[in-house]
Amino acid sequence: MKADIDELRSGFLNRGFDEVTFEIDGNTFAEYARACGETDPRFTDPADPDFQAPPTYVSTLVGGRALPSDFPNLGGVGMDAGKGVEWMAPIRAGATLTGKSHMHDIYTKTGRSGRMVFLVRRMELYDQDGTHVANADTRTVIRERSSE
Amino acid sequence: MSEQAQETVGTIGDVEFGAELPAFAPDTGLENVKRFGREVGWGGGRFTDHEVARKEGFPGAIVPGVMSQGYLGAMIHRWAPKSEIVAIDTVFRAPVLVDHPHRIVGVVTDVDEDAGTVEIDISIVNEREETRVFGTATVRLPAD
Repeated sequence: MKADIDELRSGFLNRGFDEVTFEIDGNTFAEYARACGETDPRFTDPADPDFQAPPTYVSTLVGGRALPSDFPNLGGVGMDAGKGVEWMAPIRAGATLTGKSHMHDIYTKTGRSGRMVFLVRRMELYDQDGTHVANADTRTVIRERSSE
Repeated sequence: MSEQAQETVGTIGDVEFGAELPAFAPDTGLENVKRFGREVGWGGGRFTDHEVARKEGFPGAIVPGVMSQGYLGAMIHRWAPKSEIVAIDTVFRAPVLVDHPHRIVGVVTDVDEDAGTVEIDISIVNEREETRVFGTATVRLPAD
């Protein structure tokens, strides 16, 4: 049976369901930067005066829950369909970030093989001073099983 | 129509609508992906072991999506060293295979001199010219 998307949207969008804390290690994000091919010392060299995490680094920060505890099982297998980042301020080595997650969007696309449900989870990241430094979105796609 | 790829740009005034970014060949080698797994995360077998990945139904080990997104950011910073990526959205269309050569291509699709930002379409393509990852980015550059 297909999920009622309007019902899911009204029940879950913009409702916080997870909060976690991250201690940001400069050596880890410098390794991330080098492995991805960054060459700018502001991302790779802890001695650089402007040393900071590459904006996409926040996509590696994983919350405690992927979905709200009462979110229904949609029946199909979820796959990672994409990542989005909105960057607002530099994230420095030693920062303590708080990640607050909510369902940001729920929508469908229909193809030859049936309907796919897209779930967009947004983690808003705040530093220790309460400054909103980034949003990290994870888009999961679930191909619904056809009803017999 | 596209412009000749410009090696680097410094300011928004250096950027032309339709300009291609210099192509970038990311390091998709197994050792680099293993290092990413050890130091950052995503060290599971589907990323670091071809045999494990094949047992899971992949043609071989795959590059983590978060690493592919990082490649896109690196390419932008190599092209515009003084830039700030203010937004980037990445769509994982198909796996990026470890130990297979890929290249990243990008093109400027909008220049907003008032806002000091440019829009870029950017893709990871494999040897068959198939797009594996597609992204769009908003990048801020200095005025001068």
